[in-house]
Amino acid sequence: MSGLEIGLWGFVALLVLLALRIPIGVAMLVVGMAGYASIGGVAALLNHLKTETYWRFSSYDLSVIPLFMLMGQFAAQAGLSKSLFRAAAAWIGHWRGGIAMAALGGCAGFSTISGSSIATAATMGKVALPELERYRYSGALATGSIAAGGTLGILIPPSIVLIIYAIMVQGSVVALFQAALIPGIIAALGYILTVGVVVRLQPQAGPAGPRASRAERLAALAEIWPVLLIFVLVMGGIYVGFFTPTEGAGVGAAGTFLVAVFQGGMRWRGFVEALIGTAETTGMIYLIILGAAMFSAFLGFTQLPIYAADWFRDSGLPPLAVLLTMLALYVVLGCVMDSLSMILLTVPIFWPIISGLDFGMPQGELLLWFGILSLIVVEVGLITPPVGLNVFVINSLAKDVPMLETYKGVLPFLVSDLARVALIMAFPGLALALPGWLA
Amino acid sequence: MGRLLHAAARASAVFGGLVLFAMALLVATSVALRVTVGRPITGDFELVGIGTGVAVFAMLPWVQLTRGNVIVDFFTLRAPARVKAVLDAAGAALYLAVAAILAWRLVLGGIDMYQFGERSMTVGFPRWTTFPLAFVLLLFLVVAIAYTLYEFIREARK
Repeated sequence: MSGLEIGLWGFVALLVLLALRIPIGVAMLVVGMAGYASIGGVAALLNHLKTETYWRFSSYDLSVIPLFMLMGQFAAQAGLSKSLFRAAAAWIGHWRGGIAMAALGGCAGFSTISGSSIATAATMGKVALPELERYRYSGALATGSIAAGGTLGILIPPSIVLIIYAIMVQGSVVALFQAALIPGIIAALGYILTVGVVVRLQPQAGPAGPRASRAERLAALAEIWPVLLIFVLVMGGIYVGFFTPTEGAGVGAAGTFLVAVFQGGMRWRGFVEALIGTAETTGMIYLIILGAAMFSAFLGFTQLPIYAADWFRDSGLPPLAVLLTMLALYVVLGCVMDSLSMILLTVPIFWPIISGLDFGMPQGELLLWFGILSLIVVEVGLITPPVGLNVFVINSLAKDVPMLETYKGVLPFLVSDLARVALIMAFPGLALALPGWLA
Repeated sequence: MGRLLHAAARASAVFGGLVLFAMALLVATSVALRVTVGRPITGDFELVGIGTGVAVFAMLPWVQLTRGNVIVDFFTLRAPARVKAVLDAAGAALYLAVAAILAWRLVLGGIDMYQFGERSMTVGFPRWTTFPLAFVLLLFLVVAIAYTLYEFIREARK
């Protein structure tokens, strides 16, 4: 068997193991190790494994991920999601559908300091769902908008998926964070607009909330200063290059800790809860990272990525068609797999293919553009049936809303997602302007 | 037995979280020093990398015991509970084998690091020092996986 054939069989074996409920990280480790040994020999594999685990876990570049996780956990303990939601509700709650829009605004605000989608959905769900129920919003609109709003956690930087993508394609995390900002804002506005359209079609789904007085509005706005401060300090500092993403995340985690203690009343119990929450996501992510590293070391051996890139370059297929096929594949894969695993699994093959095709833009820009487009479509998987993780999280918080209702409620937001993909494909400048301007 | 393991894994996860928190404080202090006195903590990035590594090793057992590792359950959504338990047992068995191999190789890697006197570039932190702890934590992971394997087998027999 040639290396190429072994590589293809490796993919088949991996997909079979995944379908059989083998944990994703373990499946990638097993296939990666077997493939590596079959090409390079058992001795080479054993030698490789001596320090592989150590180096993967002790990487400074990756340490930004758990630090952002810690920051998000502290932010949740600080009750920042509550002040964000209240401030948004005071300003736009009296519009038709305004409470759902406020929940989305709160999600967008929380996303500027959280890099994880599920954490954003969960923390905002706890705060906003009872309110949405109180104002008799339909179960579909209430749960659907928060499930969709949760995806902003990853679409608006900081973003764990973007960090992983940046490391894999050897791009700059900072430039990708910059590129994601405008598309992220468009996403938030698009979702709010979606609620507006839904309540126009079904006015009983989202009645107007109470109108707040001017004094109440200003008081509510004053409550969100910690979020603004953290955002300006951390993300602002990263954007202008004052510090590295890891430094920003470290400063952010320490600062958010102080806010949680002094403003949110976090005590020992809450602190331990935040540490456990961080451990759960961090451990889960690092096992997948370790597996993906093993699997792509094996793929590198097989030369499959180079072969695939050559084949596509010489095939004469229109580049845009190749790109669209990949994005469509992400949507399909997203129905069964989480976003991080998808990126880790596909980018070692997809990026060499894309970078070998001519899209009429320099490599550096192509890298950013493809990253942002992929980010949007892999996030779609979080809210599509049958396995939308965000939908599960929100649905478990709203006990009396059937799952099917939540999926129905999510549909209009999917339309908004697809429209955004088309928009950014047509106008790459939406992603590329900010990094170009700040560079 | 299960309760004891859970408590130990939880303590280990909290320890990992504390190490990570310490890294956040280290980074924040270093940045603060850079801004005020113009001199950061030398080689802070090396220590953060090494510290994060310890934290991750400490977190893995808890994730396994609470069944927090991601699986694709799409194709088995309607499968009987027993079939799922058998497949989950197979998954745990594979993880057990992999973790045992990793623990074994890590020891040899640590010995190499010690013998070659490998140190981090800037602050000269001897790399072997965190290997013993990492090995103990990996062994703990192996025990935790073995316990979940036992649980899955018991579920499959029901």
